[in-house]
Amino acid sequence: MLVTKPLAELCALLIDELHGELPSRIFAMLLTKGRSTVPQLAQYTSMTPRQIRHGLAVLHQHNLLYYHVDASSDLAFYEANPENAYNLIRTGKILEMVETSFGAPAKDVVQSLLLSGQTRISDLVAAYKEKIDHATKEAAANGEEADWAAETNGINGDAPSTNKAGPVVKSTAHLNSILCRLVEAELIEVVHSTTFESPQDVQKIVEKEVMDKFFPAGVKGNKAKIEFQEKMAEGLRKVRAESKSLKRKLEQQGSGIKRRKLMENLAMAVTNGNHEEDLDPVLDPRQVIRINYEKCLVDLRNRRLVQFATDMYGETTAYVYGVLLKLLTKDLPRCRQDPLADVSEDKHDAEKPFLVTTDLILDNLKTSVDLSLGIGKAERRQVSRSVAERVEPYPPARRTFLDEAEVEGEASADEDEEDDESSEGSEEDEEDYKPVANGEANGVNGTNGARVKFAGAGGAAKEPRRLDRPTQLRQHLLLLCESTQHFVRHCGPDEWTVDFPALLRSLRETELDTVIERKCGRQGLRLARILRSKGKLEEKALPNVALMRKPELQQKMLEMQSAGFVWVQEVPRDLKADVKKSFFLWFCDVERSLGQMLANSYTTMVHCMQVLEALRYKERDVLETTKRTDVRGREKDAMRKEYYERYSRYLDCERKLFAQMMRLDDLVSVLRDF
Amino acid sequence: MSGRGGRGGGRGRGGPMVNGRRAVAQNSVPWATDAEILLDGKPSELFPPYDVPRPPPLTRKEDKLVSYFLLFREQCQDGPLYTQARSRLSQPSPSAAAAGPSSSSSAASSLAPGARAYGQDQINQRYGLVSKATLDAFTAVPTYSQRFTRAPRALPDLASRPFAKEFFPPELHATLDGDDDDAAAGGRPGKRRRLAGAGAKTLGLSSITSYKTAEELFFRDGLAPDQPPRQGGRAKAADGELDKALQLMSTLEKRGEGDDDAGFLSGEDDEDWVRGGHGGDDDEDGAAAADEDDQYEDESGDDYNAEAYFDGNQDDDDFDDGGDDGGDYF
Repeated sequence: MLVTKPLAELCALLIDELHGELPSRIFAMLLTKGRSTVPQLAQYTSMTPRQIRHGLAVLHQHNLLYYHVDASSDLAFYEANPENAYNLIRTGKILEMVETSFGAPAKDVVQSLLLSGQTRISDLVAAYKEKIDHATKEAAANGEEADWAAETNGINGDAPSTNKAGPVVKSTAHLNSILCRLVEAELIEVVHSTTFESPQDVQKIVEKEVMDKFFPAGVKGNKAKIEFQEKMAEGLRKVRAESKSLKRKLEQQGSGIKRRKLMENLAMAVTNGNHEEDLDPVLDPRQVIRINYEKCLVDLRNRRLVQFATDMYGETTAYVYGVLLKLLTKDLPRCRQDPLADVSEDKHDAEKPFLVTTDLILDNLKTSVDLSLGIGKAERRQVSRSVAERVEPYPPARRTFLDEAEVEGEASADEDEEDDESSEGSEEDEEDYKPVANGEANGVNGTNGARVKFAGAGGAAKEPRRLDRPTQLRQHLLLLCESTQHFVRHCGPDEWTVDFPALLRSLRETELDTVIERKCGRQGLRLARILRSKGKLEEKALPNVALMRKPELQQKMLEMQSAGFVWVQEVPRDLKADVKKSFFLWFCDVERSLGQMLANSYTTMVHCMQVLEALRYKERDVLETTKRTDVRGREKDAMRKEYYERYSRYLDCERKLFAQMMRLDDLVSVLRDF
Repeated sequence: MSGRGGRGGGRGRGGPMVNGRRAVAQNSVPWATDAEILLDGKPSELFPPYDVPRPPPLTRKEDKLVSYFLLFREQCQDGPLYTQARSRLSQPSPSAAAAGPSSSSSAASSLAPGARAYGQDQINQRYGLVSKATLDAFTAVPTYSQRFTRAPRALPDLASRPFAKEFFPPELHATLDGDDDDAAAGGRPGKRRRLAGAGAKTLGLSSITSYKTAEELFFRDGLAPDQPPRQGGRAKAADGELDKALQLMSTLEKRGEGDDDAGFLSGEDDEDWVRGGHGGDDDEDGAAAADEDDQYEDESGDDYNAEAYFDGNQDDDDFDDGGDDGGDYF
């Protein structure tokens, strides 16, 4: 990951916020100086080696370091792990995601894991055991002091109170079952000997191995080079697979899916759900586990995409899409493929096709969801069945942004209409589906003829034709298929897949459009889109194309230029490069704008943290008071009124600032990680 | 941002003088053709009104995310590995707010708050400035309410929890056991160290279960009164509680003056983070940390007789007297 200055600063601030000053200082130094040893760090930071060692231990425990021990000298070289440091801000999201998909107990376990860093399973189990014992003891004691407990519980109604309700994780068997489920979902991975080698080191180790084993005489010729690449990829994959060893073991001990199904049946039958725990094999207590952020990101991406689909189509379709994504990405280990390790991954794809069938989706849909919502209807004759259901077995060829925009933007002069499709849909309803009347818009939107249209309220109000559930599901999927955003690809009869790169490109473009609109208004967005579809445009030609007056247009363009959305290129006509005679070409480079947006997001996040620090400094006397043990927990009683008001105002600001950072993180994830 | 600079006033004003007239082409300026035009000769505003964009209020989901994050932060800061920021003075920083009164004072530092630092040396100078020499005389006098301040921890409490040592580089193993002695820190012969592997250590799980928002702050945290008291310096869960404080005081009394310079409410926390056979006789990490820096957290010293305050107060159910007492020292 490219670490820019704002990002480095942000990582250091995040660590300072969560793990304290000492690790943060060391981490910042590691980022600025690159890999270093303890004596070097001591020199850089003017701290004692003892302090450095303590700080490094904390950082390492929280998975924020790579290190490499030189076999000859026994010195360890430490390197910062900026990905994990950045991921600290996603803690809230990951916890929420785990809670919604695995339940509150799983969230508790994940939280403990995040809190303690890499942990041996036996330690985790012992810790939980103690907590549970403690809670039971407490519960017994509470029985005696009924009135006191009642009061507490009444107040703590919603919070997971440890008193009466007991701990969220009920027993060690329960814990084991949760861990099994998380391991199967790959959210927890095993720490192994090469986990803490930096990616470059891993690559070197594998390279050396491959060279020694297969190419002792060196790599010569094209054929050997390709073979070398394949061997490298294989080696890297093997290293990666080590962290999945627990999952593999679980799968061996009993086919995971089968067991899961069994458990679900049981869970339905037995409300208590205690039986299911016995079915899970006990995990090897010596294994050391930690959170797998890569897989967490995959799940977070699914959520983001569902959100995107909701914005575009509506809830029912988005729900179908969510189920599809969940099934599709079950075995997807990471969002972005590693260019080195995944060279020959295609072969594996052939064995295990990356697609979902309609039946599988149908089985996983909740029966309570009414699929008839959110689909419009069209007369049979208006539908070109062959086009609507056409099968695209291969992903679209990768094109550059400009080319793509040129192809797709044929009708972009009125693309604004495309944004609010609901209004367009209802308009068509009124016009009784005359595709000819607004053929232009349809050409952009539905592949041809309105087979399935977003209907909004208008479509639902009409007398629905009776359709069976599979057909309705198919219609939702076809609707997703024919979107310009490439939500889904119909890759075979009743088989569906998602081309993530293309989809995410369009998602990124949407984000960029939103930002342009917020900063430069609709006019600016329109101009940017015109430039995107036309490529480079001469200054004099632009007013004609955009149908705007020249001074207005120039002002807008300058505004956009200073905001970093469009650029201008000067092309001299002759050798003298006379300014009056030169051409000025406006153009729009999406990649560059996105890069700038990413950098801005980092800076803004740093700024949020700095504002928070300034606030803390301003309110330091209040905060000092609240830190006191006799005040903490009963601030309102113990503090004077004005102090208390200042304190609650500070808390409000803090929440807002963190929320802002999380929103920015949404943007960063879309731009960088998904 | 882009609101400025569009006005372009004063066009042509700077042209060269020709025959007492500016060399501006006739009819090229608006007022040459339009006699009634009203020129706006004012200088452009230095700070034009700017509509500050306000983010929309938090949705319920965002609220939840933030709460989870803040709860996680609280738990992190409660854990044994958290080192409280304590020594950054030249910047408005959490350290200044979070550290005890001794450190928030303006130390005899040459760096003004927020001063620009040139080079790593100057950045390093900002840290580690808390020493006896930099005490603020106005807040350093021991007061009753200081009993309740958290002693900032300078080094993580590594010895208190188990680690998967095989994944740590060998040079850190001694540190993980808690017997990492420097030449600088080894000056004290009588120092008691935790023994490596003395009893099985247990990972402590945080007992904080909810992050308090401003509205809920006056609610009491749901911890039973019979929970073993945690050290006042670290535990946050239910620290403010009446019973808790009382219990702390009684334990303190029992211990008498047995504690050395490690801060007054110490000694009990091991119950929480470590269960081992070495309950009472281990050294406080805070004190260990204080060794190499000048001792910044032991200002409480022995000259402050706690029992004078606590006598007769321990049976009192209502702690408000104490609270009021403390209130004066905000």
